Amino acid sequence: MKPGPNGAAERPDLRQLHAKFGDAVRSLEQDAAGEPVVFVAPERNVEILAYLRDSQGYDLLKDVTGLDLGGDRPLQVVYQLWSTRDSNSLRVKAELPPDHLKLGSAFDIWRASNWLEREVYDMFGVVFEGHPDHRRILMPENYEEGYPLRKDFPLRGRFSRAEQTRLAMSQEMEDIYSLDELVVRGRSGAPGEDRGDGIETQNMILNIGPQHPATHGVLRLVCELDGETIVKCTPHIGYLHTGFEKLCEYRTWNQVIPLTDRMDYLAPILYNIGYALGVEELLGIEVTPRCKVIRVICSELNRILSHLIWVGTTAIDIGAFTPFLYTFQERERIYNLHEAYVGARMTTSASRVGGMMADVPPGWLDGVRDFVETFPNTLDETERLLTQNSIWIGRTQGVGTIDGKGAIDVGLCGPNLRASGVAYDVRKDKPYLDYETYDFDVPIGEYGDVYDRYLVRMEEMRQSVRILEQALARVPDGPINVDDPRVILPPKSEVMNSIDGMISHFKLVMEGLKVPAGEVWSSIESSKGELGFYLVADGGPKPVRCRFRGPSFMNISALPYLVEGELIADLIAVNASVDIVLGEIDR
Amino acid sequence: MSKGDRSTVISERRQVETEIPRNWFIAKLDDLVVNWARRNSLWPMPFGTACCAIEMMAAAASKYDQARFGMERMGYTPRQADVLIVAGRVSYKMAPVMRRIWDQMPQPKWCISMGACASTGGVFDTYTLMQGIDTVVPVDVYVPGCPPRPEGLLYGLLMIQEKIKGESVKDRRPREEDPERVGKPHLSPEEIELIAQPFGNSTFQNRVSGLESSSPILRPGDRKE
Ligand code: SF4
Repeated sequence: MKPGPNGAAERPDLRQLHAKFGDAVRSLEQDAAGEPVVFVAPERNVEILAYLRDSQGYDLLKDVTGLDLGGDRPLQVVYQLWSTRDSNSLRVKAELPPDHLKLGSAFDIWRASNWLEREVYDMFGVVFEGHPDHRRILMPENYEEGYPLRKDFPLRGRFSRAEQTRLAMSQEMEDIYSLDELVVRGRSGAPGEDRGDGIETQNMILNIGPQHPATHGVLRLVCELDGETIVKCTPHIGYLHTGFEKLCEYRTWNQVIPLTDRMDYLAPILYNIGYALGVEELLGIEVTPRCKVIRVICSELNRILSHLIWVGTTAIDIGAFTPFLYTFQERERIYNLHEAYVGARMTTSASRVGGMMADVPPGWLDGVRDFVETFPNTLDETERLLTQNSIWIGRTQGVGTIDGKGAIDVGLCGPNLRASGVAYDVRKDKPYLDYETYDFDVPIGEYGDVYDRYLVRMEEMRQSVRILEQALARVPDGPINVDDPRVILPPKSEVMNSIDGMISHFKLVMEGLKVPAGEVWSSIESSKGELGFYLVADGGPKPVRCRFRGPSFMNISALPYLVEGELIADLIAVNASVDIVLGEIDR
Repeated sequence: MSKGDRSTVISERRQVETEIPRNWFIAKLDDLVVNWARRNSLWPMPFGTACCAIEMMAAAASKYDQARFGMERMGYTPRQADVLIVAGRVSYKMAPVMRRIWDQMPQPKWCISMGACASTGGVFDTYTLMQGIDTVVPVDVYVPGCPPRPEGLLYGLLMIQEKIKGESVKDRRPREEDPERVGKPHLSPEEIELIAQPFGNSTFQNRVSGLESSSPILRPGDRKE
């Protein structure tokens, strides 16, 4: 990280921050992408964050995460902020000594920080004072082995596999469940209350999941019901926690790519590309023009892929089966394109740092052209089935409503945020891959209900088709990978015939890609919202920290605010409408 | 009732049951009819957790249409299902849930482990993932792949059908269940240790980087804090 006097210190907001808080602002640095990083005194962290939101317009909390550098070095808690007013980003860090891991909670400033802080507690053991629901989130509540993302925690856990299995299976499930439910029960408390009609009634607890077809994966929802009205809904996650972020620290930079597509398996290439863009930002390299266009084509195809499964499964949840068959037919066509390009249908691993795994095969672009021409017909047919359908309208309009300000506060992102009328799209607000040169619209909704979310996604698919048409018209010739022996393997002919080629091949294969020390928080617009990568390197062949800020995680954490007060039948519709993928939520 | 009593009751019952098909011919006919019926009306219980579940959905959707093989009905309740298809990663947090679903399914039942993760933990040799679901439930067919293609899953289901062909009503051993084992891991701790050992690529990488020992650790205290 570059310290001290540079462009960042000139920014008026930071000068004012320094003037107001003086020594509490300990230092100001810049990350690899030139973004300012402010180190603040942990005691005054909450105060500073509140000031930044109220007086400097940083209204969107993108991420809260931890960073352990190992040894006795202080543990950092990182807040990533964004101002929708000025389109500025800012990273605030508080350094905590290892023997005093305590920090004030930012819950009163952004409700979005609720789950993010719980995750930092779960993974690093930082205690957030004043947090309303301070529990583990991904690991089981009775987990005894420690805090997994600390550097002194072994990859396979502290206990042996047999012991881990024994502990997992010896959980008395009723105990664990009721432990969870205490949060719900705490409110209704008394065994029954008289509501004035002489009948003692009690709120009912309904458990949905973790294995339930309507939760789109292994999500568990615990609802407290008054009749059919939801009084309180508590989502429980972590049933698919895989330890991606820990595993990445044990893999070289390129070996992380196959892990990324197993996180969001509904739009795998988006994840591949987003990660590669992050590492390239760290390295300070720019990919070739051809690669950029191919990446845009893959991205937009995957956006369609993901929205299609969303339409299909949501329609099933609400009771319409036919759209599922239509949309899966189109998905198979995109899968075929995947297969022709990378050889796999779903786990694509298509990108590499500095390019793609290979150039597209001959004829592939014609296949995409064919898809782009015929796909809008299916889209129209699907829309004919749903948009004017009175059952569909009845089940979706006015359900799960949230306004723009509330949506920002609780951390909704992507199409859900846009359905509430906030036109925030990373492709427009912080363009990458030359998205600013494409002509497309960002659809926004008016009411922020399930129906608007549906309309926004339908329109986004149309816009993706528009982008695809433009991209197909401009695919330039030239190499797909950057010409940089530090990053990309030289062609086989060079390896065999020149000593330089052989050496760089040997070094890349044996040592892996070396990334200079530094950190970066880069993001792309994935199909579900803003997908952020917080990458920290120390100059070695492996990441120090790979943080994936999944949009689904943020969206599902906002579910309680959307469903409380609605009917239980609408819970399924609302839960489906926020478009989650559990692989990314639990990571 | 003490434990001893129960085992005598069970053994008495077994005798009675094995006596029923006295006639060899009737037993064969029984096998034919029963196995034919079981084989062609398998009701899968999809236990999909991660990426593999999407391919499982593709196998049920229009292009692959697993209903062609008698698996018309995806049963989302374990009480009315014959084949548990575990598709995707299963974490320790999820393990008791999976075992409970298996226990809730009535006999006869079979289990398919779909994909590398369900079968061995796949590339995820981490602190949270079970290294193969066969440590917790008995598995009949493993479908390899990451993810297996829908054809692969269909082939796995056909293999279950083959397996049923070889079963006999007379031999009740595969269908026996011990109420004592409900909710318990399927294997003993030693066997779990053996099959969950770090192997292959991940062992190699960790040994090179010297990050941690790759030998099995049997007690919690063995590992550095
Ligand atoms: S085997 Fe592969 S596709 Fe299946 S769940 Fe595991 S990572 Fe996903």
